[in-house]
This record gives sequence, C-alpha cells and structure tokens, in this order.
Amino acid sequence: LPLSLLRTAQNHPMLVELKNGETYNGHLQSCDTWMNIHLRDVIFTSKDGERFYKMPEVYVRGSTIKYLRIPETVVDMVKNEVQEVRRHQKDMHKQKKSYGGGGRGGQSNRGGRGGGNAGRGGGRGGHK
Amino acid sequence: MVNDKDDSQRKKKESIVDLSKFLDKKVRVKFQGGREATGVLKGYDQLLNLVLDGAIEHLRDAEDPTVIGDETRNLGLIVARGTAITVVAPADGMEQIPNPFANADEQ
Repeated sequence: LPLSLLRTAQNHPMLVELKNGETYNGHLQSCDTWMNIHLRDVIFTSKDGERFYKMPEVYVRGSTIKYLRIPETVVDMVKNEVQEVRRHQKDMHKQKKSYGGGGRGGQSNRGGRGGGNAGRGGGRGGHK
Repeated sequence: MVNDKDDSQRKKKESIVDLSKFLDKKVRVKFQGGREATGVLKGYDQLLNLVLDGAIEHLRDAEDPTVIGDETRNLGLIVARGTAITVVAPADGMEQIPNPFANADEQ
C-alpha cells in the first residue's frame, strides 16, 4: 500500500524529511520499489531551519527517508486510483481463469488419446 | 508469469534517475554519516557508485556536526560508494534563497 500510494502521487508536490533532519519540498518525478525518489523543483531546508536552497532536481535514497508529507487532496485521489487498479487486477484474474479453462479442455482431449494408446499397449502385450 | 504481474519488479532493474544528464557536470552528493562532497561526475553505475573528479568535501563545524560550515578540503579524483550515498543533486542549479515559508519554523 505505501509504495502504490507513492506511485499514484507522482507529479504532486510533497515534503520529504530525511533521517538527518533535512527537508525537501518538491514535485515527485518518479519513485521505485526501494522508495528512492526523484524530485523536481526542490526547496531544501537545512536541519536548523535557517538555510534554504533551490534546486532543479534531487535524487534521494529511500533508506534515508524518515517520512513524506503528501497533500490531503492527493490522498483522496489516490484512494480512487487504488480502487481502480484493484478492479483492473480482478479483471486480469478473471481473464486468466478463462484461459486456464480453455487449456484444461484441450488437455482432456489429449487424455483421451493417451487412454487409447494404453489400450493398444495392452493389446501388444497380449500378442507376446 | 511473475514478471507480467508486477511491472515494477522487472528483470532489468533500471534506476529511476538518469545520471547521464549529470555527466561532466558538478553534482553535490551527501553521504551517510553527514559528509558532503561536490565534484564533476565522471562516471556512474546502476548501484549508484559515482566517480567524482576534483571532489571537494565540505566539512561540518567541529562544535555542531549538524551545521555545514565553510571549511573545505580537496579530495581530487574519488570513487563514491553507492551504498553510502544518501542524496544526489546538481550543484549548478543550487542557489540560496531567503525563507520561502512565511511562518517561522521556530516558535
């Protein structure tokens, strides 16, 4: 859930605080499975809250993130998007099951031919 | 089948940031433990190991390790271990600005 929340919050502004207390305000450009994030148009505030720098982009390691602050408007949007993604996954599962049923039908035909071969094998054994 | 399910876990693990645009440009790198260095990015790999040329380490004040001081020391050509890197940012676009937040942080 947290990573999907982050993924759907792409292109939205957010605040990131690192374990060393520094904060980055910026728009989420991209993120990955390790929570590494790439921000655009970033304002960096030092731990003492007195120095501010503006940067076009930064890359932050997931392991150094303490927390992320996401605007509430985004959170509501994300809920809807997560529901849609789950609906897609359900549809995919249904499609896969239908393919599996067709495959099993083909296998049952092959099973019949196999039984016929076994009968022929028994016939050969009888001749000897 | 597993690869079809989860697109984020692909066989090719691509990094989300393309460091090729930083090549031959000055970058600012922060390390675990609080060290900072700036240098020209000469090379990189998927593990985020970096090769910085003409690297300069920015030292922190001896009294307060959290404050970044003005003292520096030259490191020259270095290989920065990706496992220890916490932040990578271009040093070119950095400019110091006054407090953009209207409310005071310390109340």
